[in-house]
Amino acid sequence: METTLSDILQDIRSIYYYAPLAIKVAIIFIIVAVSATVLAYLVMLRSRYRNYRQQRRMARMLPKIDELLMNEIIANPNIPHDVAPSKVALDLEPFDELPLHKRWGREMLTERIIHYRNNVSGTAGDLLRNLYLQLDLDKDAMRKLKSRHWNKKVEALNEFTLMDMPIADVTILPLANSRNRELRAAARQAYIKLSKNEPFKFFDSVTDPLLPWDQVELYRIITTTTDIAIPNFARWITYSSNKSVVSFCMKLVVHYNQLAAVPAIIKLLENRDHTLRAEAIEALGRLKIAEVEDRLVHLYTSQPLFCQIAILKALGRIRSGRHIDFLRNEFLHSTDFDLRKAAARAIVKNEIMAREVIDELLATTTGENLLILKHCMNPLIKY
Amino acid sequence: MGKILLVEDDEVMPKIIARILPPPEYEVDIAVNGKEAIQKLEANHYQYDLVITDIMMPYANGFEILSKVKSHEREKPIPVIIVSNAGNEDMIMEGFKLGVDDFLKKPIIPAELVIRVKRLLMRNK
Amino acid sequence: MIGIIFENFVFVYGLAMLLIYALLALMSNIGVRLFKKRSPYTDYSLLLDSPLTPGISVIAPAYNEGVTIISNVRSLLTLNYTRFEVIIINDGSTDDTLQKLIDEFEMVEVDFAYNERIITRPVRKFFKSTNTAYDKLLVIDKVNGKSKADASNAGINAAAFDYFLCTDVDCILEKDTLSRMIHPFLNEYQNKTKEVGDPCPECGYVHIVEDSTRVIASGATLRIANSSEVDEGVMVRVRPPSRFLPRFQEMEYIRAYVLGKMGWSMINAVPNVSGGLGLFDKEIAIKAGGYDHQSFAEDMDIVTRMCGYMLDNNLKYAIRYIPTTQCWTEGPPNMKIFSRQRTRWGRGLAEIITIHRHLLFNPRYKQLGLVVLPYNLLFEFLAPIIEALGLISIIWLALTGQINWPYARILLLFVYLYSVMITTLALCWDQLTYPYYKTTREVFGLTLMAFLEPFIYHPLIVFFALRGYWFFLIGKKTSWGNMQRQGFAPKKPN
Repeated sequence: METTLSDILQDIRSIYYYAPLAIKVAIIFIIVAVSATVLAYLVMLRSRYRNYRQQRRMARMLPKIDELLMNEIIANPNIPHDVAPSKVALDLEPFDELPLHKRWGREMLTERIIHYRNNVSGTAGDLLRNLYLQLDLDKDAMRKLKSRHWNKKVEALNEFTLMDMPIADVTILPLANSRNRELRAAARQAYIKLSKNEPFKFFDSVTDPLLPWDQVELYRIITTTTDIAIPNFARWITYSSNKSVVSFCMKLVVHYNQLAAVPAIIKLLENRDHTLRAEAIEALGRLKIAEVEDRLVHLYTSQPLFCQIAILKALGRIRSGRHIDFLRNEFLHSTDFDLRKAAARAIVKNEIMAREVIDELLATTTGENLLILKHCMNPLIKY
Repeated sequence: MGKILLVEDDEVMPKIIARILPPPEYEVDIAVNGKEAIQKLEANHYQYDLVITDIMMPYANGFEILSKVKSHEREKPIPVIIVSNAGNEDMIMEGFKLGVDDFLKKPIIPAELVIRVKRLLMRNK
Repeated sequence: MIGIIFENFVFVYGLAMLLIYALLALMSNIGVRLFKKRSPYTDYSLLLDSPLTPGISVIAPAYNEGVTIISNVRSLLTLNYTRFEVIIINDGSTDDTLQKLIDEFEMVEVDFAYNERIITRPVRKFFKSTNTAYDKLLVIDKVNGKSKADASNAGINAAAFDYFLCTDVDCILEKDTLSRMIHPFLNEYQNKTKEVGDPCPECGYVHIVEDSTRVIASGATLRIANSSEVDEGVMVRVRPPSRFLPRFQEMEYIRAYVLGKMGWSMINAVPNVSGGLGLFDKEIAIKAGGYDHQSFAEDMDIVTRMCGYMLDNNLKYAIRYIPTTQCWTEGPPNMKIFSRQRTRWGRGLAEIITIHRHLLFNPRYKQLGLVVLPYNLLFEFLAPIIEALGLISIIWLALTGQINWPYARILLLFVYLYSVMITTLALCWDQLTYPYYKTTREVFGLTLMAFLEPFIYHPLIVFFALRGYWFFLIGKKTSWGNMQRQGFAPKKPN
C-alpha cells in the first residue's frame, strides 16, 4: 500500500516536472480546488453542528428560563409593591439551576430578558432589568465593548440601549467619533438614551449625514425614552449646517407638536435647497399652521414640482378653507396629473367648507379631472 | 369567568398573558396565527367573551380577524383588544374604523392589560 | 495557425473566467460576512411602527391563477410591513381569477385616477375592497398584453408609493421581505450630499444636485419551492427539491444569487434583479421607460436601462443584493417547460447584448459599460458557443489522434474540480447566511449536485442557450420592425 502511494506521488512529481506551464498551473489548482472543497464541507458541517447544538440547548433551556422569569418576576406574588422595582432584592437562588457560568447560558438568558422587555414594560420591565443587573449579565456586554471588533462594540451598545444601562460619557463619546459608520450610529443612539447630561449634544457636531436608517433608529429611541428632556429643536433647524439633522429635527418637531420651533421652520421656506423646503412645507402642514397658508400660496408659482405638491398637501392638512379657490384653480388648470390629484385631494380634505365647490366641480368637470375628483372622494381608496 | 381568545404568533406573549389572566377567573384559548384563530372562532361558534389579537401574523392579519369578529351577528359584539408592536397612526386609525375596543402597543404594562380586560368584560356582562 | 490562435484564446479565456469566479467567491464571502456581522443588531421591526417608513407598492400580475389566487393574495396581504399596498393585475385571465378576487375580498368597482406614464394595453376596471381589513388591496383588470412586462407596467402606473416590489403572484415571500429589502435603500453608506450648481435662471433658486449614491433597486436570493411544504401561500418547511431537474436549479439559483449577485453587489456591478423578486425606485423605473413588453429578458432589460438613465444624467447609483432567501418560486418540473424557459433566457440575453451594444465597452458607462455588459457578452453569452466549439475541436483532435491524453486528463480534471469547488463554496456561503433545510442530509443531497452538474445539467443549459441564440437569429429576420425600442427617456436638465 505504502509503496503504491509513494509510487503515485512519484509519478505525479515526474509528470509535474516535465509538464508545460499550463499543466503545472492546472495541477496546482487541482490541489487548491480539492482543499477548498474539503474546507467548504468542513465549514458547513461545523456551522450546522453549532446550529444544531444551539437549537438543542434552546429547546432545553428556554422552557426553564420562561418558567423562572414567570415565577420569579412577572407573576411573583412575593415581590413587595411598596419598594421601587429597581431596588427590590430579588431571590436569585432559583436561577442557579441555569448554566450561567457558561457564556452561552448567560447570552441566552440576556436575549430572553430583552425579548420579554419588548413585550412588557412598567414594573415588570424594571424588574427584568433589575434581574439582569443582579445576575451580573452586563459584564459580558462590558467586555464586548472593549473588543477589537467594531461589530462586537455595536452589539454591546445595542444591548445597553435596550436594557437602559447607564454608561459613562467618556466611554461613549470616543465611539461616537469612530471612523466606523455603524459604530458611530450605535454610539449616538446609546448617548441619547443613556447620557444624563445633554443627550442631543451630538446634533451640534455631527458632520456626516444621518442616513434614513439612522433616523428610523434615532426616532424610535428618542420617542420611546420617557425621561428625556426635549430641547427646542429650533436651535438646530436654524443653525445646523447638516441638512439631515435639520430635516430630522423637523420630524421631531412634528412628533412633539413643538410650536416654539415653528418660526425656525418658516424661515426654511427661503432656503435654497428644494428638499429641505419641501420638508419644511410638509412639517408646517402636519403642524396645521394656518398662518403660513398665504405665504405658501404666494410661493407656489416659483417652486419646482415636488414643492408645489407639498404645498397642495399642506393646504389639505391645514384645512382652513381659505384657499379653496386657489385649489380649484390648480385642479382645473394645472397640466400635471400629480398636481391636479394633489389639488383635488386638498379640496376634498377641506370638505366642510368646500361642499359647494365640490358639487360644482362634480357637475361641470368631465373626463380625467372628474375621475381624479371621484378617486379622491372615494373613502375606499386610501392613497 | 371570561373566555378569551388570544391570537399571537410570538411565543412569549401568550405565556405572559396566560399568567396574568389565570384560571379559574379566565380561560385563555391560544391561536398562533390568523388561520387557527378563524378556525377556533368558527369551531366555538364565536362563543368568546373577549378577543385579544396581534396585527401582523401569517394567513390572516389582526384586522381581518377583527372585522370577522365584529361582523358576526350577535346581540352584543365580542370586544376586541389589539396588542401589537406595530402601531403607527395609520394602523390605529384602521383599527378603530373596524371597531376595535382597545389598542395597546407592545411593550404592554401587564396590570394595565388586566384592568382593560376586566372593564371590557364587565361592560358586556 | 488558426488552431493556435484559437487554442491560446481559449486558454486565456478559460483562465479569465476561472479568475472571475474566484473573485466573485471572495467578494460574496465578504458580503455575506458583513451581513452576518450586522444581523445581531439590525432590528428590521423598527420599520413596523415608524412614521419614517417609506411606502412600498407590491405589484403582482396574475394570468389564469384561479386555483391559487386567493391564498396567494392573502399571503401578500399579510406581509409584515406598515405602509404598503398590494396591486394585483388581472392580465385578461380567461378563467375565474377576477371573480374569485371580487367575491373573496368583497370588492367593488371604483373610479380610479390612473396616470398612464408607461403605455400599456388598455386597463378596463379598478376594484377596491369595501372591507377596511383589505384596504391595502387594489385589483386592476386589464386587456391581456401577452407579457408580464405589460401587466407590471400597468401596476407601476397605478402604484401610490415611491418604491415598488415586483413579484409573481405564485411566489412565496418571507414575511419580513419588505423590511429587509428596503433596508439597503435606507442604509446606503455612500450617501453624501454635496451642493453643486448655479442659480436657475427661471426660478432664482439653486437647483441642488445631490452628489449622493441613490439605490435604485435591491434584490434577494430566490429558491425553488418544488418540494417544500407550502400551506395557503405560507412556507412551512423548506426542503431541497426531491427530483433531479428542480434540484439542479436550486443549486444553480443559490450559486447565481449568493455567489454571483452578492459578489457583483460588492463592486456595484449587479447585472440583473430577478423578475421574481425585486424592489425598485419607481421614479427611476418610470423615467427609464418601465418594462419592455417585447423583451425576452425584461428584468435584465429594465435594470440595464435604469442604470443607463442614471449614468446619462450623471447620477450615482447602486443596486444592492441581500444574501438571505426571501422568495420561493416554482421551478420548471419537467424537461419541456425547462427547455422553453432556458431557450427564452438565451434569446433574452442575446437580445440584451444587441439592444444595448452602444453601452458595451463605453467608458462613459462606467461599471455598466466596462464590467456588467462585457462580462455578460464574454462569459455569459459567448461561453456556450465557445464550449460547443471546444467540444467539437476536442472530438476532432481525438479522432485525428492529436491529443496528449495524460495532459488532457489533467486539464479536464482541473476544470471539473474547479467547478465543483465554486459551487460548493456558494452552497457553503448560503449555509453560513442561514441554515436552510432541517437536516444535514438535505444539505449534502444538494451539494451532490455540484459533482453531477458538469455531466448532466450543464450540457442541457448550453444546448438550450444555443437554441435560444438560434431563435434570436431567425426571429430577427421576421420581426425586425417590432424590435424598435423607445430607448432611454428624454434627458431632463436637473
